[in-house]
Amino acid sequence: MFGRVLVANRGEIAVRIVRALRDMNIRSIAVFSDADRGALHVRMADEAVHIGPAVSTESYLHQGRILEAAKKHRADAIHPGYGFLSENADFAAGCAREGMVFIGPSAQSIRRLGSKTAARTLAKQAGAPVVPGSEEPATELEHARALARDIGYPVLLKAAAGGGGKGMRRVNAESELESAVRDAASEAERAFQNGEIYIEKVIEKARHIEIQVAGDHYGNLVHLGERECSLQRRHQKIVEECPSPWVARHPELRAAMGDAALKIARAAEYDNLGTVEFLADDRGNFYFLEVNTRLQVEHPVTELVTGYDLVQLQLRIAAGEALPFSQKDVAWQGWAMECRVCAEDPETNFFPSPGKIVQLREPSGPGVRLDSGVYAGWTVPLEYDPLLAKLVTWGRDRDAAIQRLQRALCEYTITGVETNLTFFREILDDAEFRAGKLSTEFVADFFGRRKPRAAAPEQLEMAVALAAAAYSQPRLRTLAAQGAECVDSRWLSEGRGQLLR
Amino acid sequence: MKWQVMVEGRAIEIDSQQLDGVLPVEAGVYSVLLDGASYEIRIQPSGRGLTASAGLIASAAGRRFAVEVNDPRDASRSSRTAIGSGRQNVTAPMPGKVVRVLVEAGDLVETSQGLVVVEAMKMQNELKASRPGRVIEISAREGETVGAGDTLVVLE
Repeated sequence: MFGRVLVANRGEIAVRIVRALRDMNIRSIAVFSDADRGALHVRMADEAVHIGPAVSTESYLHQGRILEAAKKHRADAIHPGYGFLSENADFAAGCAREGMVFIGPSAQSIRRLGSKTAARTLAKQAGAPVVPGSEEPATELEHARALARDIGYPVLLKAAAGGGGKGMRRVNAESELESAVRDAASEAERAFQNGEIYIEKVIEKARHIEIQVAGDHYGNLVHLGERECSLQRRHQKIVEECPSPWVARHPELRAAMGDAALKIARAAEYDNLGTVEFLADDRGNFYFLEVNTRLQVEHPVTELVTGYDLVQLQLRIAAGEALPFSQKDVAWQGWAMECRVCAEDPETNFFPSPGKIVQLREPSGPGVRLDSGVYAGWTVPLEYDPLLAKLVTWGRDRDAAIQRLQRALCEYTITGVETNLTFFREILDDAEFRAGKLSTEFVADFFGRRKPRAAAPEQLEMAVALAAAAYSQPRLRTLAAQGAECVDSRWLSEGRGQLLR
Repeated sequence: MKWQVMVEGRAIEIDSQQLDGVLPVEAGVYSVLLDGASYEIRIQPSGRGLTASAGLIASAAGRRFAVEVNDPRDASRSSRTAIGSGRQNVTAPMPGKVVRVLVEAGDLVETSQGLVVVEAMKMQNELKASRPGRVIEISAREGETVGAGDTLVVLE
């Protein structure tokens, strides 16, 4: 096993990886930009290296600086997390050149699957169903126009190198195509330094269901079941769960999708953790979408239901160990659900809300897991993703998991920045959500039928008024601080002195 | 002492005896016991209003409330009232850095007169007097960082 691992990421995922490393007695090395000197992942790691200015291309995306930091701190391996360099085949190859292990699949597997168009071709050849669409890039407008006509509107433009909804545009009619191609290509260029886009048919009211796969260097491959991630805003997931309510109703789908995912992974000679994404319609069809050749943001829901630590598993596989279990050992117990807590305002189209976290109360208790990257007093930088934390709960069934998530959301308080915490409480109360009727258009539909929230109980408003009146009294505002001074009272020090005698 | 507190636009009258059930437990956090029910309320300045009587945001039971506290004795007096209508703490509505202190101890100030300039999120905010008075204490120091709710100037 490795002795020292550099974590080439920031925020909650860097904290998550540092924890796995400590669980395995491996020394962790954090990297940080100018904006992240005080970040939680830097505070928690064993070692930390400054890698440049706040802008990602000069720090977290800068391969040279990260490799240099890893060499300087004598890292055996680099964990890329998700986003940033995690799906960059050149970086994976660069690690190998410097004699370090890239914790992820081989550069060759990333290349085969990283380009979305290449992955579609590979999936088709492996016998998996794919969404009708183009197999070659369609960045030229005339080419795109012909392809879109063949496929039939509405179509979806997607970045070939993409992920995270960047460079994605829905086009309903040919008249919208030209500007959409231009926007998608330039967004893709900015996000991935690759402006190639391709075209897919839009599957209406689809569910997003993905299969977690794990492979080792000896050809063993297993799947760890599905996650449903249909709730999305701006093409980015915000609520994920395992099992999928759809698969729970059609249990044969887990094996069918699992098989399709393993075929694709086998064809790519996949040798670490990865996620094969599918779209499912309401007639029992499913279509291959893409493979994420990295750890997924929503991996905790699979961890809670299967009992495996996926980050530790990544490390073991990368260190050359064989998968410690086979497909028949994988069992799913209960239900897990995750909310992505972001510094953003759902009332203004999820606009990011960077700033200083003034107060923070984090939920805990039975069945609650919080993967957080922030603390009270931390300023959420405006340069990066607004994800603050992932709140995950486990219950014996879906209702129990939801009930715990509601309870945990109620305990959770973040002030100073806008967050989507109360928005999640409304979503979890929604009858359609409770019934498991999910689709990628759920959030948009929800805004359409959303009722104004019932007024708060009068007694709660009274309690708020009392607290506010107390706050307006300097005497009552500082009472807590005076309490702190009491700790140094002579009685206490006298008492302590006597205890020591 | 009596207050009128606006909670989400609804006026609630409070008198000081009712505050017996309110215990400050952490900075800006209050435990409120009311007819046997227990509530935890978090209060912070809204950061929007920039005068001393700025609005507050309360968080409780997974909800947020826009709150404003009015001391009815202030409201009953016109803004022309002379000096000496009680102490008033001018506090920082959000965390930031004190850029300039515009007054000195002993100064007489008019309504809307600038007292302190605080910089936050790359913007400079001038904190103004919400009524006339005399500066009796200045706790703000130029260049110092302040937290939300910190007292900067005390008026009398």
